[in-house]
Amino acid sequence: MSFVHDPQFGDRMITLMAALVLVLQIAMVGQRWLITNIRMFALQSFLLAAIAGTIAFFNHSNHIYIAAVLTFVVKTLVLPILLERIVARVGIQQEIEPLINVPLSVLISGGLTLVGYIVAESFYHPEETSAPAALGHNTLAIAIALFLIGFFMMLNRRKALTQVLGLLSMENGLFLAAISLTYGMPLVVEIGIFFDVLVAAMVLGILVYRIGETFDSMDVSKLRRLRG
Amino acid sequence: MNSLPVGETFALGLLAYTVGAFASLASWRRPALARHLCCGSAVAGAVLEGCAAILGLLQGTPVRWSISSGVPLFAYSFSYDALAGFLNLTLAILVAAVAIYSFSYLKEFEGRRNIGIFGLLFHLLLLSLTIVFTSANAFLFLIAWEVMALAAYGLVTFYHEDPEARRAGLLYIIMAHMDVGCLLLGFALLTQASGSAEFASFHLAAAGLSSSHQAAAFVLFFLGFSIKAGVIPFHIWLPAAHPVAPSNISSLLSGIVIKTGIYGMARIFFDALGVLPAWAGVTVLILGVVSAVLGVLYALMEHDLKRLLAYHSIENIGIILMGLGSALIFRVTGHPQLAAVALIAAMFHTINHAIFKCLLFLGAGSVLHSTGTRNMEKLGGLIRPMPVTAFCFLIGAVAISGLPPLNGFVSEWLTYQSLLAGFGATGGLTRILFPIAGSMLALTGALAAACFVKAFAITFLALPRGAESSRVHEAPRSMLVGMGWLTLACAFLGLGATWFLPVFDAMTEQLLGMRVGASLITSNGLVLSVGTPHGGTVSTAIIGIGLLILLVPTAFLVSRGARRFVRTRGPTWDCGLPGLSDDNEYTATAFSKALRMIFSALYQPRREIQAVFDVSPYYPKEIHFESEIEPTFEKRLYAPLQDLILWFSTRMRAVQAGSVHAYLAYIFITLVVLLILVSRQ
Repeated sequence: MSFVHDPQFGDRMITLMAALVLVLQIAMVGQRWLITNIRMFALQSFLLAAIAGTIAFFNHSNHIYIAAVLTFVVKTLVLPILLERIVARVGIQQEIEPLINVPLSVLISGGLTLVGYIVAESFYHPEETSAPAALGHNTLAIAIALFLIGFFMMLNRRKALTQVLGLLSMENGLFLAAISLTYGMPLVVEIGIFFDVLVAAMVLGILVYRIGETFDSMDVSKLRRLRG
Repeated sequence: MNSLPVGETFALGLLAYTVGAFASLASWRRPALARHLCCGSAVAGAVLEGCAAILGLLQGTPVRWSISSGVPLFAYSFSYDALAGFLNLTLAILVAAVAIYSFSYLKEFEGRRNIGIFGLLFHLLLLSLTIVFTSANAFLFLIAWEVMALAAYGLVTFYHEDPEARRAGLLYIIMAHMDVGCLLLGFALLTQASGSAEFASFHLAAAGLSSSHQAAAFVLFFLGFSIKAGVIPFHIWLPAAHPVAPSNISSLLSGIVIKTGIYGMARIFFDALGVLPAWAGVTVLILGVVSAVLGVLYALMEHDLKRLLAYHSIENIGIILMGLGSALIFRVTGHPQLAAVALIAAMFHTINHAIFKCLLFLGAGSVLHSTGTRNMEKLGGLIRPMPVTAFCFLIGAVAISGLPPLNGFVSEWLTYQSLLAGFGATGGLTRILFPIAGSMLALTGALAAACFVKAFAITFLALPRGAESSRVHEAPRSMLVGMGWLTLACAFLGLGATWFLPVFDAMTEQLLGMRVGASLITSNGLVLSVGTPHGGTVSTAIIGIGLLILLVPTAFLVSRGARRFVRTRGPTWDCGLPGLSDDNEYTATAFSKALRMIFSALYQPRREIQAVFDVSPYYPKEIHFESEIEPTFEKRLYAPLQDLILWFSTRMRAVQAGSVHAYLAYIFITLVVLLILVSRQ
């Protein structure tokens, strides 16, 4: 089992998982069912936790394990359960109504992945940095793409709850970028970010509920009425 | 002398203010307790800070201490040097007076207003002021500056049910944010140049500053600090905000809060920016002249006692700026001795103005407390029911008018002397500027005296003008003690000016590298001279003794005359028209009429008389009279600016679609474009 300790192998594993994360993200853009979307997010977060775990294993840095466990608990278990409960409670329609139709959305997501690679290219200087930075190459591009697509998801959707999903996947992109470039930020910062995400999701959950109550709908386009 | 416990005393003082803030807030349900906690801890804090300032000034060398915060560029750095010690001393003198005064003054709040909130804001203001004067890190300074502005906003709008107070508060907070914006940009420039936000590093980096950077930083800082100081034309918030606050707060706002602008100029212009070019000094000097003359001219037209005092603050800030501006000019033209004298004049006038303006506002507060009105046209004859207040107010009025032998005279005299010396020491157009500034200062002094003749005479002399005056009473004892303490300070700084001047030595050495205290004092500490060729000499102590000598025989003659002649009282001749009322007395408007005519080009006075006739035009039934002067700056400068901003905002409204998706799209497009731009490089 010597290949398990081979850094080359770890690198490929991570690249593979990152690619899967990206595929899931694009699939989320195309997916019309809310519950499925939440579960895809959970799966994506699980893959992220696995990436963090792999990085921790190959770099022997114990505190990334903690980040991995936190990702798993918060994003794979707590947040999806929370979101599904809100869905059940508000009793909204399951189907997502995007502003832009699905084929075009997927095309745009592809374009944004390209933007991610273009941007990441300018940060890639293999001659200057040491070996691990090669890992950053692909994953940084994917992280930027995740971030942009997450943003696009927020833009593209009418309902507040689905926008929360967009925000959370943006955060996943940030996490991937941070962990693949720096091999883990200081633990305090990580914990702070998780706490932030949790609070943001709760606040948004309450907001979703309130919007639903006030406007009899969760369509944020109706917030236009608040304009003075 | 290195073992004086400056830092410890300073920290204890800050602790006293902090305790005061929370203790009075915690006891808000029990107003009497809250009042005593609030004022008591303020007195304790003032005593401790005063001791710290005296110890710091005695020590002579700056005391610095710094606690790292973990955030880059930001550290809790304090520097207790001569300038900081001097301003903290001024602050402590005022706080002691205001805190003692407030023991009785706040009594009328009990049961009506929340003294807990008042105490919190009051102590926050004191805390932030102390930190503003001592911080040695740009970010700490800005935080304290902002806390100060917010606490002052809370206090200005303390009578929040009054729409005038709310409007004034809004104006104040807008101007305060403009000034902090300018300062933020200025500090960003300096931080970029020096790589650190510590004031000490600015000083080191000043030599490497390019002249365009230096000019930009000067303009930003000057804008920021002059908005805070109320320099014309950035003054419009000051006459609005200072009168509407509770009087004990007005006295602090006019006394010390606007001086933070002066402090900032002294700190940045003399220390952090290197040697500024002459045009900078000329700008400061010219705006000083404009503020002094226009400030006093507007004050003359005011009939609201507190607004009048607020306009006088603008005037005095102008006088201080004259000193600062000439010091800047002298420094760059190579006259360090004169620069030191001008700087001393400016800083001496800072403490003097702080003291007598605080005294006058406290006096106005007593009048307001007792009569319930700030309108001078309704006051009158208060010297009989309120003799002590009247005496304190008179001393303050004499001091602010720059009459010998009190403190206002000494600093105005020093300013005047340095302006006159400027004529001989500089060349070109600047040379002409100095005598003009000097004559404007003389005009300002004369107009200020006229204005205070009006303020004192209409308020305290003659007969009562309103019906309310029967229930007028002397102010409670603690208010009198507060005012008396400042009256003593006025007298001491005037008569004992030669003993006080050496205090400035450490400051001029720190900012200009010169000690001139010794050369200013001649004849065993009795006579003050400028120490320049053709400079004047003066001695307030001797003038004081002379006045006393003149006063004794006068008093003797008056008392003899009073015994010999019998005083008879009779009705005023009413020209045959019966029924003279209080309204027929000489008014403040009438008093200032002559000046309103002379300066009508500035005031643009507007009069409207409407008479309603019954039978014949000789017997009008009613006459309506309306008179007002044009608020030039509001109308000519701020109204067009406001229109421009409104126009721009209306145009920008199209962008504010109200749709979350549109906002997200803006951010998204900006982000993608920026990312692509960054990766192109």
